[in-house]
Amino acid sequence: MTQDRFTGVGLGLRRAHLEPVSQMEGHGVPFWETCPENVVGDGGRHHRLACAILDRDPVLTHGLTLSVGGFDPWDEAYIRDLGRFLLRTGTPWHSEHLCFTGVDANCLHELLPLPFTREAVRHTVSRVRELQAQLPVPLLLENITYYAELGASDMEEADFIAAVLEGANVGWLLDVNNVYVNALNFGFDPREWLARMPLDRVAQLHIAGHQAFGELTVDTHGAEVIDPVVELMQWTLARLGRPVPVLLERDNHIPDFDVLLAERARLQLAYEATMTLVEAHHA
Amino acid sequence: MPDSRTLRLQRAMASLVLDEDEAALEADPGRVARRQGLSWADQCSFREQGAGMMTYRELARMSLVEPLETMFPVLKALLVEADTWNACIQAFLEARVVKSGHYRDIAPAFLGWLAASGWGQDRWPFLLELAHAEMLEVVVARFPDSDPPMGLHADPGPEDLLVLDAATQIVSYSHAVHRVTEAAPFPEARPTHLMAFRTEGGEARLMELTPATAALLVRAQTGPLGEVASSLNLPDLGPIFTLLRDFYRKGAIAGFQTSS
Ligand SMILES: [Fe+2]
Repeated sequence: MTQDRFTGVGLGLRRAHLEPVSQMEGHGVPFWETCPENVVGDGGRHHRLACAILDRDPVLTHGLTLSVGGFDPWDEAYIRDLGRFLLRTGTPWHSEHLCFTGVDANCLHELLPLPFTREAVRHTVSRVRELQAQLPVPLLLENITYYAELGASDMEEADFIAAVLEGANVGWLLDVNNVYVNALNFGFDPREWLARMPLDRVAQLHIAGHQAFGELTVDTHGAEVIDPVVELMQWTLARLGRPVPVLLERDNHIPDFDVLLAERARLQLAYEATMTLVEAHHA
Repeated sequence: MPDSRTLRLQRAMASLVLDEDEAALEADPGRVARRQGLSWADQCSFREQGAGMMTYRELARMSLVEPLETMFPVLKALLVEADTWNACIQAFLEARVVKSGHYRDIAPAFLGWLAASGWGQDRWPFLLELAHAEMLEVVVARFPDSDPPMGLHADPGPEDLLVLDAATQIVSYSHAVHRVTEAAPFPEARPTHLMAFRTEGGEARLMELTPATAALLVRAQTGPLGEVASSLNLPDLGPIFTLLRDFYRKGAIAGFQTSS
């Protein structure tokens, strides 16, 4: 079954690691996550390496700039190419961020927060439904870190996310590090926050490192995952009671591949320890 | 239909990231909301969260500027030296020319803006060539893969047209912009002809050409090799064919085609 290929802790496929990964079949990484924006329409040596790996190993896809909460017309040519790419990789779903990335046909290349308002929920729900209708696989939305609320809110972030997921009837890519970072920046309890969310919609988790800059903690994806975030991942997996795939994100200060493999192995152990407890509980 | 509040909030955020002069924004982050005709409550929200808003400005600018710093290190060194790098970046961001969602398209968008706006070229007439040359190898290295055209042969004849590999580029500059470095960013003014191509292994190579070879490579794509060579006063086809066979082996030329 497709879904069985996607358990345990996977890694993002990074340009810096293409060489070692392509030469290594027994790397032990159960699946890769790849950003179609970086592969579709590209060419040359790195592109060929990436395609060879994506054709060989299990893959999940994760988009960056479709701007699901934005207003710009869809780039239909790109969405067609994206659909073909998703089918080629065999990914069971495609994830995007619950945010906007462009305004007035200009791409800002940053995950920007949507207003926590009923109007923004209505708008985003209809956009997500439009997008889903154009994709050959189910769409997941990921909760982002945010550093400011955009305009005066009429609901909390949690209610906003839940309303969009339910309204658009899509799955959730739950980034536990983003919840943790938001909890630090806005002063709430991440477990209480998670407990009120529609966890039945979660199909995948993200986990990553972050860094504090003065008062503010930023989701840099540039450091090792700290223990409290690993514990939050375990808490979430236990609560879910099923083995959804976890993806370790590392986009900055990318270490050598063997260092990243070691971190993956550490997270995999934590993952398995939790799943053993879950199975014992169900038995 | 009037623009929705959600859209105006997004425009205010874009303006906060791209437009404002930083001092004015530090003094009042609410001004971007006011300029979009947003309510007092929204203006207050921008003000109360000034620090978070400024973080977005920093992060988004970093995303947009990093690929330029990587792609154009010599151009940056030149402009930093003249204390105009930040002004250049600001003008680029305000022009709002980054349309594509592909990160690799940010640097080409910058080059396109430089060409269209003429920014800085009164002072540095070679600026556009310099930026073009800095990007050339990367563009060639990452040119989208495609199947080679059908019906080509490997050995050139006088009646043949030549077909370049899809990734190959022949460029002519009026400055030796391929010789500059961050330490010595001013190019010598002399006509320079280059061929950038991709090897079979998919890596970019740069080769300097004589004016005659550059002209031959351009014109023999549309006219028979023999005729083009004689019009360039190159009566002896032997050495030319040797060179072309070499370019074919290197991957710069896709092959030769019988002209009809
Ligand atoms: Fe994430």
